[in-house]
Amino acid sequence: MKRVFAVALGILTAIGGFVDIGDLVTNAQVGARFGLSLVWVVLMGVLGICVFAEMSGRVAAVSGRATFDLVRERLGPRVGLLNLGASMLITFLTFVAEIGGVALSLQLVSSVHVLLIVPLVGLLVWLVLWRARFSLMENVLGLLGLALVVFAVAVWQLGPDWGALVHQAVTADKPADERWRTYAYYAVALFGAAMTPYEVFFFSSGGVEEHWGPEDLRTMRANVFIGFPLGGILSVAVAASAWLVLGPLEIGVDTLGQVALPVAAALGKVGLAVAIVGFVAATFGAACETGLSVGYSIAQYFGAQWGKYVRPPEAAVFHAILLLATLAATAFLMTAVDPIVVTEVSVVFSAVALPLTYFPILVVANDPDYMGEHGNGRLANALGMVYLVVIGVAAVAAIPLMIWTRMGQ
Amino acid sequence: MSGDLDNRLSGPIDGALHLLDRQLLDSEGRMLGKVDDVELSEIDGRLTITGLLTGPEALLDRFGGRLGRILGERWGQLRVSEPDRTRPWRVDVADVDRLDSAVHLAVRREGVLRRDRERLRLGRLTGMDVEGADGQRIGRVLDARFEPESGRLVLCSLVVGHGRPGTLLGYDRHGRGSAHGPWLLRAIVLALHRHTAIVAAEDAGISWADATVRLRSEPTRPPGHPFR
Repeated sequence: MKRVFAVALGILTAIGGFVDIGDLVTNAQVGARFGLSLVWVVLMGVLGICVFAEMSGRVAAVSGRATFDLVRERLGPRVGLLNLGASMLITFLTFVAEIGGVALSLQLVSSVHVLLIVPLVGLLVWLVLWRARFSLMENVLGLLGLALVVFAVAVWQLGPDWGALVHQAVTADKPADERWRTYAYYAVALFGAAMTPYEVFFFSSGGVEEHWGPEDLRTMRANVFIGFPLGGILSVAVAASAWLVLGPLEIGVDTLGQVALPVAAALGKVGLAVAIVGFVAATFGAACETGLSVGYSIAQYFGAQWGKYVRPPEAAVFHAILLLATLAATAFLMTAVDPIVVTEVSVVFSAVALPLTYFPILVVANDPDYMGEHGNGRLANALGMVYLVVIGVAAVAAIPLMIWTRMGQ
Repeated sequence: MSGDLDNRLSGPIDGALHLLDRQLLDSEGRMLGKVDDVELSEIDGRLTITGLLTGPEALLDRFGGRLGRILGERWGQLRVSEPDRTRPWRVDVADVDRLDSAVHLAVRREGVLRRDRERLRLGRLTGMDVEGADGQRIGRVLDARFEPESGRLVLCSLVVGHGRPGTLLGYDRHGRGSAHGPWLLRAIVLALHRHTAIVAAEDAGISWADATVRLRSEPTRPPGHPFR
């Protein structure tokens, strides 16, 4: 019974943990402009993150090694350091976006200027990383993140023409007033939002720290293959609600308030309140995860002691990195940069950075030296190679599309 | 956790593939650094692993070229009053308990590191130019293979190739018959490394001063190896 409970808890937190500021903003933007015509990208992204997370989780469970251990062992110290630099730049941007997302969510409630909230959020994030019992925080935030189910309820309450929605999704029917290149740009952005690399850094490092072994593979797979797709459904619900409410009015999404607008329209104040609880939980949880991912990855490259369960004096370098990253992210936001713009940039660059960590994981997940009998099977390798190509194409296309479409205008 | 993996110290290992850049863990599972380089000493005329080097100096040395040299100098300049700052930290090979996906030490991490003595380093051996018996350059040292012999890991052969990318992925070491997938990646790496060959240590004259290995015979054998 206890085991069932643990599995269920893992799945539930994976649902809430899947959605972060990147998913919220990008899905609402795409929904408002393209309706459900890009749902196939969300499905591809969700399957992709399942493939990626399952491989890295399995490597962590069998070999006890997390992502950046492997990056350095398989690519060597020089290429590994370049890889670390690029991956950490993107993860840091995501960290900034998540902290900004928490601040914007709190601004929706309090109407206090966002720059006054940012330092508070930065401090809270750091306190959680430094002091809190992280497993508890993770579960509480993950469960509160389930409040985002309110978007699915909103779609249902709006009483859409289900046949038309399904038709648009299945035929990838782009609205006539949008260009194909912006369609392609948002396809890459959605893909990057669903397959953000930090999710894997966090997932594999957490697995190592919780001493997963081969006997935990089934639990790990249940979390990944049930939790992430259910999280993907929340993403689709965000897009659908935006299409139903904002689409006819030709409203684009530039603020977090507009992301929540369809819920307010469908369910009123109560719905809005629930949505904001979901925003705060999802972005705060993701802020902790991205912050930790920065610390994990840098410490793993240099071999320094890392871990959220290790007391700070035992892992001084790790905690110094966490402190500096949080300070830097807060300082970045205090320049009055728009967190929504940071989010848009971070999801596109996530797509650029994906192959850097995906490729070494794919190789090691096959390596009998690390994996013994738990190496990739035929299915995992077939999917793995398909996604290596897909990820490669998205990474190459991302920056040219960004420039060509002027970030989707 | 990783207790199910084989202890590699009981069989042959490829230094760069299996030992360099691995995590160092102490007897309580706590982390104390990476294997940034490996110390080699000549014992009875044969190169033997005598220690593991760790710390920024050893890492920067492996970056090689101008960048590595300049960064190494800067590292020393950060505190010129500290003696031997540019010498890396060293763990004696006798303190190593087992090697699997990490290096497990038999001791606690407190106080285990010593400044290294000026010795030879694996990170300088890999990357050396290789000249054939006729003095022609035929490639570079990609890796060095060690075998256990009376309790020590002794150099038995060198893996020599053209220095194309992907040798650290391990496909070229398992040979063509291995099931190390995905097959497309394996095919690509094997094609890139089709010239990679293995040279017995006694046929290789290593000149550390001018970073060159001179062979006394032509390498012919592919590096396929019965690794478990």
